[in-house]
Amino acid sequence: MLSVLLTAILAGALAGSLCGSTGILCDRLGLRTVAFAVAHGALAGAAFSFVIGGSSILMGMAFALFTSIILGPLADAFEIPIDLVSMTLFSLYNALTFIFIILSPGIVLAAEKVTQLLWGSVLAVTLDYLIILSAIAVLYALFLVVMWHRIAPILFDRRLAEAEGIRVRVYAYALIIVTGLVVVFTLRITGGFLVFSLIYIPASSALQLSENMKVIVALSALLGTISAVSGVFLSFFIDLPVGSSIVICAALILLTSSTAGYLRRRWLITSISIEATSD
Amino acid sequence: MALKPEARGRIRSEPAIKLINVSTYYSGETKPAIRDVSLEILSGDLVLISGPNGSGKTTLLETILGLLKPRKGEVLLLGHEIPREAILARKYCSYLPQDFMKPAGEPFSVKEVVAMGLSPLRPLGRLGPNDWEAVYEVLDLLGVKDMAERPFGRLSGGQQQKVMIARALVRKPKVLFLDEPFSALDKEARAFLSEEVLPELVRRETTVLLVSHDIAFKPSVCNKTVHMKDGKIVKVEE
Repeated sequence: MLSVLLTAILAGALAGSLCGSTGILCDRLGLRTVAFAVAHGALAGAAFSFVIGGSSILMGMAFALFTSIILGPLADAFEIPIDLVSMTLFSLYNALTFIFIILSPGIVLAAEKVTQLLWGSVLAVTLDYLIILSAIAVLYALFLVVMWHRIAPILFDRRLAEAEGIRVRVYAYALIIVTGLVVVFTLRITGGFLVFSLIYIPASSALQLSENMKVIVALSALLGTISAVSGVFLSFFIDLPVGSSIVICAALILLTSSTAGYLRRRWLITSISIEATSD
Repeated sequence: MALKPEARGRIRSEPAIKLINVSTYYSGETKPAIRDVSLEILSGDLVLISGPNGSGKTTLLETILGLLKPRKGEVLLLGHEIPREAILARKYCSYLPQDFMKPAGEPFSVKEVVAMGLSPLRPLGRLGPNDWEAVYEVLDLLGVKDMAERPFGRLSGGQQQKVMIARALVRKPKVLFLDEPFSALDKEARAFLSEEVLPELVRRETTVLLVSHDIAFKPSVCNKTVHMKDGKIVKVEE
């Protein structure tokens, strides 16, 4: 029991930090809906495996990875915003998921597996999964540290970065694929419906607390970790679904950080007025 | 800035920019934004591109930089074929876009924003002590050094424009593209840019393309004015 909890906490911490930092990058790059398409691609893939047999996880990963690879080139080829491509794929995958579930032979078993994929489960966290998640976290951290000075100008102004000679498209595609990987591996804990909250709520919280980009990325990762770990604890001790618990914790952190941010801004305004009066 | 040997010391008579019958269309449009544009700009020229709103001034700049792909014609920038070799040519160029303003929540600091101009020119974007010295120097020149640590979003429109000009200058470009660079500046700052900064750049053989709908701010060192209307060059004054 204790080892299951410990594994889940470690996985939650890693997934939370990955999702948190990814969220802020997606927000800045205007890739907010990418996670929707990727997560629902995974759902469609898993549902497809119920029809043809085989591992639902592997098929889900294959669909999600395929989605993250084609999103950027599709948007560029058709010259339409990536958000529209994402939402189109999101709708298509929802339709396919439903059709695959209806077509699957053992519908009750399939429904149980789909439920796990939709809402997540701590029991889905195995040692192998933890190792893969750790490897992704290390690779992602390295990517950010090494490439930060190339990524930052893109985050500030994509078109200007392009005009100054940065291969913006290469970095944007890389970030979409990284986001896809993060979503795929977090799905097992949070589920397909709730993974977005772990990506975007910590990012929103971090934006309330700092005005320094590097600090915002680090804070977003930290708050994602805190949300995930506290959610896993809540899920274990009150026997709630893990994905829902993580979202509730993340929302509470957002409420707290928004209040703190509001008070900080009020304090700043007050101190500036006092300074101006004394001058 | 480490320039390629072939890019250094180009002789005055060699065109920095050359366009032959260039037409650019926006996606889904049947009418070109610029039509059959031919233009030759020599190294060290300061060219004012003028015309009413929607005449194709910004499209022309972005076509030369390869940000927009021409459907017809040929574009050469510093001898590089655009857009095929745009990534190479852009390393020697700076661009001040028209829509530079960022919202109040923009978290990058002023010094970070200026340093970003240098990062594409350095391995993995990492800046050395000399680079940071150059960043502070150019911030000082534009009178915004004391704001170096402040978030960019907290600055006024005029201050943000000065920081963006600093970013363009810190790259020590061979070709400088300025799109409405006076739009948010006060009278004093306009005069400083127009009569001190730009002449110094011209003296150093930098080619400057300045887009402005208002020719009242024509710098004294300007040696060519290109008038545009409905996507076409209607007059070139030398």
